[in-house]
Amino acid sequence: MNQTTSAPPRNRRARVMTAVFALVILIPSMLGFIAKFIEFIAVFRGQGEGSFAVTPMVNYLLATTGFFCLFGWALLHGMFREIEAPKQRMLETEEWLVRQEAASDSM
Amino acid sequence: MSSASLTDNRTVDVDRLVDRKLVLYFYLASLTYLFISMLGGLLMAFQLIRHNPLSGIEIFSPGRWRMVHTNAIAYGFLANALLGSMFWAVPRLTLRPVLSRLLSWFIFIAWQGVVLATAGGILLGQAQGLEWGETPTWIDPVALLGLALVVLNFLPSIVMTKGPLYVTLWYFMAALVWTFLTYAMGNFMPEYFVSGSAAGAVGGLFIHDLVGLFVTPIGWGLMYYFVPILLKKPIWSHGLSLVGFWGLAFFYPLQGIHHFLYTPIPMFLQYGAVISTIAVELVVASVIINFFGTLRGSGSAFITNLPIRWFYTGMIFYFLTCLQCAFQTTLTFQAIIHFTDWVVGHAHLVMFGVFGLWIQGIMTYLMPRLIGHEWYSRRLCEWHFWLSAISLAAMATDLIAGGLVQGHVWRALLPWDVSIEASMPFWVVRVFTGLGMFAGQIVFYVNIYRTFQLAQQGAPEAAPAARPALVGA
Repeated sequence: MNQTTSAPPRNRRARVMTAVFALVILIPSMLGFIAKFIEFIAVFRGQGEGSFAVTPMVNYLLATTGFFCLFGWALLHGMFREIEAPKQRMLETEEWLVRQEAASDSM
Repeated sequence: MSSASLTDNRTVDVDRLVDRKLVLYFYLASLTYLFISMLGGLLMAFQLIRHNPLSGIEIFSPGRWRMVHTNAIAYGFLANALLGSMFWAVPRLTLRPVLSRLLSWFIFIAWQGVVLATAGGILLGQAQGLEWGETPTWIDPVALLGLALVVLNFLPSIVMTKGPLYVTLWYFMAALVWTFLTYAMGNFMPEYFVSGSAAGAVGGLFIHDLVGLFVTPIGWGLMYYFVPILLKKPIWSHGLSLVGFWGLAFFYPLQGIHHFLYTPIPMFLQYGAVISTIAVELVVASVIINFFGTLRGSGSAFITNLPIRWFYTGMIFYFLTCLQCAFQTTLTFQAIIHFTDWVVGHAHLVMFGVFGLWIQGIMTYLMPRLIGHEWYSRRLCEWHFWLSAISLAAMATDLIAGGLVQGHVWRALLPWDVSIEASMPFWVVRVFTGLGMFAGQIVFYVNIYRTFQLAQQGAPEAAPAARPALVGA
């Protein structure tokens, strides 16, 4: 099987779309999260009305920390380089498998 | 036997890459539980219009049947179908078989044991007091062990894959970890570690994370796999698909508390859940745009390619249900729709309208390959689709409208009886739409059975021109 793939055509519109969505989603959400985190600390410091909220918040923080680490790992290990290449490789792999199965069936 | 070498000097035994018999058994188990669940749903529908055929029998009381209905869908229908599909997709994406064929069969048998024990436990009155987590407490550790074995079986193939991962594998990898953690959090923390409102908050996280961190990532992962291979073209933007994945990872886990608006849970936490729900709607929009961008130029496939029609109909329902979610989690909407049939309509729209349709689309594509014969009847396949899709759309519309009526009657502080009488026409329609969905499944089962018969008789396949061209693009 030929595993080498030619570079995918640069799809400028797709890249712009990706960047726009990333910004639209990430920036407001990060601001919101920081505001909520400040409120969380205030609760933790003694507002009696809701210290039990610590449980779900700790759950969320643990999960998010894990994914933040995974995101960092993925970034450092080149998972986002040639970001469009995997979609071509997946199709080539499937086509190769279909050919092999057809050859196997005809034997 | 067919083996072939790759450029990285590995040899792939193509014939042993996927255990097709195992995938088929998962699908048959899944469809069996769907049948049981639909029976439970129909019984509940008849109960609401005061025609319960099993009235007075404690073991089949409506409260217990309702839990069998929901648990059979989540752990019987969806879990079996999604696992079966992963047993097909993961080896084909990674070109590596799962860790152990023996372990795979053990997981299959053990999972059926867990689901059947759950159903038996619920009917005998041993349900755990946790929505979607009614599995009796003595089954919880066994189910968690089963999930750990699933992780052990799939993860090595994914982790050993070199180079940037395809988005499907990201979704699968996350779902494996999320499901294990979500199940542990939801079933053990409220039972043994926290109580009161904290337990309620964790319960809210659990019921929503079960959908968003177990079913959703595997469902979307499968769509990112099946849609490109059926359309024979890559996904529009792999980068955008990764935005969708990481957006889900960071925003989804906080939103479960939107089930508990107007409760003693602190308002900042409730507002956080509302904001993260709206943020997820933007993530969902990115995913939908990506898939419809992929369909662009191949629009006729929506008509001619039956699995694609299942998939994209499910995506339209997904967009609608998430849009609905973004609105209904606001405090204004909640004041009207909380505890009404609106929520039931929403749940049916997402569980059957989205994931149920995707799974049936995958089965429509894979069943002939697993059975070894083309479908017995293309016409029955069409009936299956239209009965399922139209009946589900009608049921969701009916329940959503009925929920609004109920909510307004309650807000007007009218007597409870008034809301019951006002709901009755909607509940009658619900019975008929449920029967329509059930009829769609019966048609599907007949088609599968007849296809099996043809395969066993060794009947020759029809000539390509006459063959039911389900995937004709």
